[in-house]
Order: sequence, then C-alpha cells, then structure tokens
Amino acid sequence: MADILALVLRHNSARPGDLNNFSFTSVTAASELGVKVLFLTPTPIQKLPGPLQDSLANLNPDGLKKIKFMYPRSQEELLQDVASLHEYACGPAAPPSLLIVDGLERYLGAGAGPDGSPQKEDQLAAAHISALLADTAAFLTRKLEERSEACAPCRVIVSFDIARQGHASGDLTAPDPVLSVLDRYFPVRGTLDRDWSSAPPNTAGEPGAAWQLYFSGVGVTASHAAGKEEGPFLGQQWCLAIRPNGAMEFSMNSSENQTKE
Amino acid sequence: MSSYLPAVAEQLLRDIKKVYQETSRIPDDLLLALKFVFGPSALQALDLVDQRSVTCLSSPSGRSVFQVIGGSGRLYTCYTSCHYCPCPSFAFSVLRRNDSLLCKHILAAYLCQTMGLSQQEVVTNQQMSDILCGKAGRGT
Repeated sequence: MADILALVLRHNSARPGDLNNFSFTSVTAASELGVKVLFLTPTPIQKLPGPLQDSLANLNPDGLKKIKFMYPRSQEELLQDVASLHEYACGPAAPPSLLIVDGLERYLGAGAGPDGSPQKEDQLAAAHISALLADTAAFLTRKLEERSEACAPCRVIVSFDIARQGHASGDLTAPDPVLSVLDRYFPVRGTLDRDWSSAPPNTAGEPGAAWQLYFSGVGVTASHAAGKEEGPFLGQQWCLAIRPNGAMEFSMNSSENQTKE
Repeated sequence: MSSYLPAVAEQLLRDIKKVYQETSRIPDDLLLALKFVFGPSALQALDLVDQRSVTCLSSPSGRSVFQVIGGSGRLYTCYTSCHYCPCPSFAFSVLRRNDSLLCKHILAAYLCQTMGLSQQEVVTNQQMSDILCGKAGRGT
C-alpha cells in the first residue's frame, strides 16, 4: 500500500489533483500502474469532479476501464461483496490489485454509546471488515502471483472519518477505539488533519481549506528500514491545499523536514 | 497468519511443530511456554485441540478458512491470514482491552495447523462466500 500512496503524492505534488482523493487515487493507480481497482463506497458516484475530468486528457484512456465501482449500502452487503471476490479470481479475467473502501465509518451503524464512547459492536464490525479485506487481499495476491501478474501484490486502502462517525469529536489527539482496531490490520495510517492556522475557517473541502497529511504505522517504519524509495515520501509531513477551482494540491512540509533533520 | 504474531510466539509454534512431529506429544516445558506467552487461553485452546474442534474448510477457488466449535457448541469462523474471531473474548480481551494476543479459538486453529490435527472439509465457492461474510456458520 505504501508504494501506491507514494505514487499518488509524487503524482500530485507537481500538479493539482482532485477533490475526491480516493477516486483520484484509484484513477492514478489504474492509469499509472495499470492495475485493476475495486472501489467500494455506499454512495454511487454520478460523475467525476471537474478537475479530474480536466486531467483525464493526461491519463491513460484505458485507466478508467480498470476501475470497478461497487456500492454496497450496508455493512452486510459490503462483507458479502468482499467475501465473494474469490469466486471470480479463478476466471479468465485478472483479479483486482487494489481494494478501496471509501467511508468505512458509514458502514459502522452503532456509533457512540450512551457514555459517548463507541460501542464495542463498532470495534468488532471494524475488525471483521478489516480482517476480511486483509484476508481477501492475501488470497488475491496468491492468485496474481500464480498468474505471474506484474500487478501483485493486492493492496487495500480504507478511509475512515472519525468526525463523521462521532468518535472523540474529531479530536485526532485522543485515541480512537475504532482507529486502534484499524491499526491492527493496516500497516500504514495516513492522517488528514485540518490546518486551522494557515487558512480561513471554511468548511472542510471548501476552497481555501488547508490540511496537514502525515503517515505513521509499522509499514512506514519498515519502508524506512528497508531503504525503499517510497520511505522518504511517506515519512514526511505533507500540506494539502484546496484551490479555488476545487482542485487539491499536495506539497511537502519544509518546516517539518527541517525539524526532523 | 504468522506475521501477525510476535517473534517469540512464532518460534514457540515452530518448536512445538518440530517436537510434535517427532514424538506426537508436547513436552511440559513447551506447555509452560504456551501458558506464559498466550495466558489462560492456552489451556482452553489445547482442550479444543483435544476435542478436534478445528476444521479447515476449503473451496474450489482455493480460498480456505478455519471453523472452530466453541465450548458452548457455537461455531466460530477465523481467517487464515489474519486474526479475527466473532467471539466475545476476542472483542473484549483482544480488541477492547488489548491484554491478550488472541482468543482460544484462533490459538486452537494455530495449534491444530502446527500439529496437523485440523479436520479438512470442502465447501462450494458460494458456501465459502457465505461463511467468510458471516452469513453462515457464524458463532452468533
């Protein structure tokens, strides 16, 4: 997964990206790496946002054909869709190399309990979905390797909005029980935190908004230890600015680099 | 699934496998080590192993999964490449309190794999999908 994220950051540090980061990640992965992507989200995507449509001219035209969108409406449907992927892995078509779940919090129905803490059902449900995704990715990786596909291994990316879920009031400094469960199954965590100091107080995602993006987890540590190319990209803090046309632009946080050095 | 275990636990399972293949028993020192590393769930897991409670299901697609019959007779589905069990102990001791590495059902699956004692069963692809997502054979 780390190499996919590094690719997206490298790709977008030079030019504006798209407001929907996950759809842009899938398009970038499909177009630049040529891998098949399965994109799961509860809300159907009617059309690609404007800035992404503009940038399509620069992308491989076959890229979008490699993305399959699925819209499971409930936790049960999501589990069913992921669980049935093995049935198609033996067919003539290659299985996906990237599984994306956008908005995991929308599949966790219970929300906060009476004491304001997330109910344990949410933790177990998050664990079930995450474990099934990880187990499925491990299976699909074996299938891709059996086919001698260059697009092995199969990776998983999941987005989770703690503010929307109602956990910890969106406070990223407080430990979130569901996030701690996700950390068990996913080796890299990318935290997107609103930068209130450098931008006007707009609603999240509106033009003028600024965000800080940083990566943590055992996957980042392992990348550094192995001296992999994506290591330096993931170990640093990034700034994300929303431009007036709604496009996103990533840039490396230079002050963070100096502090680390 | 082994990559989710700390190195000491992986080494312990390797030692058990080696000794069990040679002698068909687990010596006391390794039993004590099991208890030390995995806590109270070690003895409960060994009990499940003795009762041959672990079945490895596989489907024509090549997908496999463990099913463990718990002490109450309920069926728990555990994945082969990462830790998950729908039992209350996994939710409370592993996920919530983080004071156990895994529950007795997952440890029993590990031990049966290590000792070659799991039952084998073939299911259809559709049945496998239902089991993986918890629609069938779930311990609830």
